[in-house]
Amino acid sequence: MVELVFVTPFVTGLLAFVLPKTLSRQLLVFTGAVHLVLSLLLWKNSPRAFFAEYFAVTPEGLLSLLVISLLFFLISIYTIGYLKAHQLKSENIFTGFMLLFLSTMTMVTLSDHIMVLWIAIEATTLASAPLIYTHRSGASLEATWKYVLICSVGIAMALLGSLFLTLSMELGGVTAALSFSALSPVAGQLDPAWLKAGFIFIVVGYGTKMGLAPMHTWLPDAHSEAPSPASALLSGVLLNCAYLGIFKTNKIMVAAGLSDFSGTILIVFGLLSIVAAATYILKQTEYKRMLAYSSIENMGIIALGTGIGGLGVYGAVICMIHHSLIKSSLFLSSGNILMGYKDRLIANTGQMAKKMPKTFVAFFAGFAGISGFPPFGIFIGELFIIMAAFKTGHYLAAVIFIFSLCVIFAGFARQVMAICFGTPADTGDGPSSDLKDETFKETPGLVWPQYVLLLTSLILCFFIPDALYQTIVDAVHAIGGGLQ
Amino acid sequence: MTLYTVDTLLSLVLLSVLFAFGSSRVPALIKVMAFQGIVVSIIPFFITPDMGTGAVIFTLATLVIRGVIIPLSLHLAIKKVAVQRDVAPIVGYHASLFCGLALIVAAAVISRYLNIPSISDSALLFPAAISLLVTGMFLLMARRNAIAMVIGYIMLENGIYLTGTTFSTQARHIVEFGILLDVLAGVMIMAIILQNIKQTFDDVDTSLLRTLKE
Repeated sequence: MVELVFVTPFVTGLLAFVLPKTLSRQLLVFTGAVHLVLSLLLWKNSPRAFFAEYFAVTPEGLLSLLVISLLFFLISIYTIGYLKAHQLKSENIFTGFMLLFLSTMTMVTLSDHIMVLWIAIEATTLASAPLIYTHRSGASLEATWKYVLICSVGIAMALLGSLFLTLSMELGGVTAALSFSALSPVAGQLDPAWLKAGFIFIVVGYGTKMGLAPMHTWLPDAHSEAPSPASALLSGVLLNCAYLGIFKTNKIMVAAGLSDFSGTILIVFGLLSIVAAATYILKQTEYKRMLAYSSIENMGIIALGTGIGGLGVYGAVICMIHHSLIKSSLFLSSGNILMGYKDRLIANTGQMAKKMPKTFVAFFAGFAGISGFPPFGIFIGELFIIMAAFKTGHYLAAVIFIFSLCVIFAGFARQVMAICFGTPADTGDGPSSDLKDETFKETPGLVWPQYVLLLTSLILCFFIPDALYQTIVDAVHAIGGGLQ
Repeated sequence: MTLYTVDTLLSLVLLSVLFAFGSSRVPALIKVMAFQGIVVSIIPFFITPDMGTGAVIFTLATLVIRGVIIPLSLHLAIKKVAVQRDVAPIVGYHASLFCGLALIVAAAVISRYLNIPSISDSALLFPAAISLLVTGMFLLMARRNAIAMVIGYIMLENGIYLTGTTFSTQARHIVEFGILLDVLAGVMIMAIILQNIKQTFDDVDTSLLRTLKE
């Protein structure tokens, strides 16, 4: 039964609010493990949903679900160490909403009905808002306010877009169910003008949640103010969930023969995001904000690849999977850096290679991976997208893309070098250097999750299991992508 | 006969927009919003020919949530914190009113060019929906008071609901109810954040929320 996958974390999430602290920590990891098993079962024998009108197992949904499940399990292990080190006042609220967040994101991956997808994506906003406000500071309050307001208004636009889709059904005389799987076969009969309008609103709406420029303004604030395990979830999987909404709508556009129109829009938003990230990443003074801008860049790359089509879509899906794995490991490592130096500013860190050797390995490998160095998957994904861009004649897009990648790499590398090898600035406002190491220990639970994430990304480059490969091909085939 | 009723109700909605643009006090704004919520949610009673039991129950639930629970929760939020009551406009009241009128006229002109079959019998339905959407956005951008911004968001949502009722191909009521619950939960969370903003900064002026930027 498909619905069990998101009902389970919902129930345990409610339980976590009332259980004692230690028990709810264990419940977090336990639910993560159960969720992973349930997701793998879905892969094995993709069953029919009980409410087949609203939920369905689709290839793109399966991919995102597996990423969510694996990430959540590893992050939950890290969270135990994190919570032990932090002694949050409202820990039960944190664990409870982590589980509810998992439940809503799972619902996104499994929904097939257009409106149910919207409900699920809006629910992810609501379930993650309390996570951002965990530290109860003025800055985190501001980040939460921006996040809830900008994302709610943005997603309201997506609801309007979904309504336009129903209008295009009405004008086209289509009586199929209001679900993605039912609309794709009859997409040709939909009214093209309103379908286009609907697509624009949906891209703006879900694009806000995905972090596409110029609607990205909430993202750096939310990612930097949230506790690191929550940032890892936000960046690693929440953004993918929003992308899934755009991906599914694009499927209808391609089926209706409007792939040129939808492709152009996605390319423009993608390039805007990549350029915006390149502009802002150069002058970042905080490492978590820097990682957040790198997420905006990667979401831009994914939108660009999807827009270009063909091999580009395959590249986009590869980028999506590897970005989730690598970026969540980077955010977890940034949690360690924050615990070690007690400071968000890059200027007050330094010499991490000596002080936190284990975190250094994870952070530096993650940096290499996210910048697109060859042994990691992002390299392959970006290469495919560039190849596809040249093949389809998007020369200008390819040039802007490659140039921005260089700028981002330069900016990122300078900051990472400062964190890892630079000498801390003794400006007086940072903690003095001999205080730093004593309170923080790199316990296995705080470094192994990152290693496993990076290792998974590394292994997936050289060896993709057949079932996974077939699912990726099925997913990209539906929007005209493939390995040609 | 019923058609005139619908247009009369919709003209009330348009009036509520202008009232909202002219109000300088938060409590007055909340009252306008409650009135608007009630009017918007009873419109399906007049445009749907024969409603089933499910539709009636759903419309009543909408009425209770949009007309009573949402305004009440905002009212309680400001009562608890005794917020400064001026809405701190970025665009002045007279300019706002003028913009509101211009937006309504523009919406009426635009909707004449859109070819939408199911709404052709009511002249004001689509213009009212578009006006609510755009004016909600306007309030969000043109007021610094956080409560006024939340009210702008609710007006935007009312507009989307009105747009939804104009199309005949509609989702099932259970789905519509899910959407409504999401909106309700969203407003509740915003109300909680409002209280926290007030406690932390001793005001709800969003110009205080400027520490996070590049």
